Amino acid sequence: MLWLCVVSPVQEKHALKALASWAGQFSSCVCLDAERRLLWLEIGSSLRYFGGLDVLLKKVAAGLHALTLKATIGVAPTPEAAALLARQPQTLPVLQLDHLRQALAALPLNELAMLPAAIAGLQASGLTSVGELLALPRDALARRWGLQATDYLQRLLGERADPRKPYRAPQTYYRRFDFAEPVQTVEGLLFPLRRILYELQGYLRGRDAALQALNVAFRHHDHADTVLTLRTTDPQRDALRLFALLREKLERTQLPGAVTQIRLGVERFVALRDTQLHLWDESERHDASWSDLLDKLRARLGDQAVRRLGLRDDHRPEKAWCVESGAAAADLPPAFPDRPLWLLPPRPIERLPKLLGRPERIEAGWWNGEDSSRDYYIAQTAEGSRWWLYREAATARWFLQGIWA
Amino acid sequence: MPPSSLIPRSRPLPPVLQEIPGIWRAHELAPVKARSTGHGALDALLPGGGWPIGALTELIPLIEGIGEVAVLQMALKRLCDEKRHVVFVHPPYIPYAPALLSAGLLLPRVLWVDAAHDEDAHWAAEQTLREGAAGAVLLWSHAVADRPLRRLQLAAEAGQSLAFIYRPVVTLDSSSPAALRIVLRPAPAALGVEVLKARGGRGGAVFLPVHAHV
Repeated sequence: MLWLCVVSPVQEKHALKALASWAGQFSSCVCLDAERRLLWLEIGSSLRYFGGLDVLLKKVAAGLHALTLKATIGVAPTPEAAALLARQPQTLPVLQLDHLRQALAALPLNELAMLPAAIAGLQASGLTSVGELLALPRDALARRWGLQATDYLQRLLGERADPRKPYRAPQTYYRRFDFAEPVQTVEGLLFPLRRILYELQGYLRGRDAALQALNVAFRHHDHADTVLTLRTTDPQRDALRLFALLREKLERTQLPGAVTQIRLGVERFVALRDTQLHLWDESERHDASWSDLLDKLRARLGDQAVRRLGLRDDHRPEKAWCVESGAAAADLPPAFPDRPLWLLPPRPIERLPKLLGRPERIEAGWWNGEDSSRDYYIAQTAEGSRWWLYREAATARWFLQGIWA
Repeated sequence: MPPSSLIPRSRPLPPVLQEIPGIWRAHELAPVKARSTGHGALDALLPGGGWPIGALTELIPLIEGIGEVAVLQMALKRLCDEKRHVVFVHPPYIPYAPALLSAGLLLPRVLWVDAAHDEDAHWAAEQTLREGAAGAVLLWSHAVADRPLRRLQLAAEAGQSLAFIYRPVVTLDSSSPAALRIVLRPAPAALGVEVLKARGGRGGAVFLPVHAHV
């Protein structure tokens, strides 16, 4: 076993848990000690997957950097040794148990996870380094400082097993971020939002999942929460892409007041399509950038502004089309006579332009009380425009309903 | 001179250079990539023999309802056949689904983007062009200034789509950064297409039968 220990600069319990969820992308066994602000990842079993220790360490470091956390890390075959190394500036990973004693020897005593009284006592008797302590006979140590002290040293060196309860990431994702001071500007929200999304990305990678909907709530002092829901066309887990979409949405949202807290939640997860991870062929690439584009347009203009068209089985021209909400719009066989490109809400006309050809009678709606009988004509105005007109049979009034553009 | 297909037209200028008007890149002098309009007489007038790819085409109809969109129909239909998308940004009226379908534009391939104002419409068109995900973008704009057009021209160069902008008649007198500028006028049983400006082309006018009905 090989342990990577992270000393977290953040203290709050929910922030530490978020960090543990984030770490799930690097290891299937993550352990947490909230009191000591320590996070352990068992990386022995994931080294091969990541292509070696150097690559993995670089990834962890880049990940922490993206979270804007100044965390130090240590690597050793036992959790306590890794923790000890992590508290030092600039230590080399220790990969084998045999090398542990030597690697720890020069470290100062005061970093050991022993009772402060024990450390003070040892220092008072003239010891300064871990090496000097380890050279002392264990039974004498146990008599003077209790079994607790020797038990710790045994676990430190791997002489005794050190089983730990792995942290289990929750099944639904929820993250809270409290501001020390209410935030007035959107810019002030973006910074923590980006970090939260990077945490989420790590969690999603650990679960090998993606999302298609995401809720973010902003709490205000004396107003109801502002809630934004982000929906994406394709499954997503890329932090920067989600950030760009949320930012677009946020910048177009009127916040009623300063923000005291951000809450982010994801309830449902989906599988990520392989096409987003691996090489894709040209048509899939177009599809991927197409759905990215749809997301971007919807984030700024609103879901309602980005429309797909569909047909409806109705003879009345204004009811023969619809905006499709679903992903796939079904095509009915195109059995339509000539129709104009632009459809207008019917507007009465005063002067009748020149009518071309014979009328098309359209009768529909008699079964549900919206009875209508109309004679449709193609017409040409004096200026040269083609119009689609109808004469309402009941009233003999003329309306413009379409334009041949 | 290398064939135009080897020249990377997709790379946008660095942001600093984008702000400077009138920068010409060497490849812009290369043969124009284009897509047939489906009208031989019109293709003959246009540089590259069709609607330019990766460049902005400005269309100025003198009046609406003369076939100002129908003139694009054959090119748009072919894009749909190739499974590319056609995006209508901020059209003046509802694009009528039965008419689109009759014109061969498969509905799942058509996107209608509405915008509250011109600025959003230009933004949407620019994003769509830059992303290069659509086969064609048609934008209806009220903008009179040429700055938004310059941005669109650059976005069009970044992507590889057909880019059409419909502009009001009042813009006829002002200059334009578009690569191709066309006036559309009504004519008896036809559409008059007059090429005002064509980068690398000869210009001229043709009459096209775009209205099938009498």
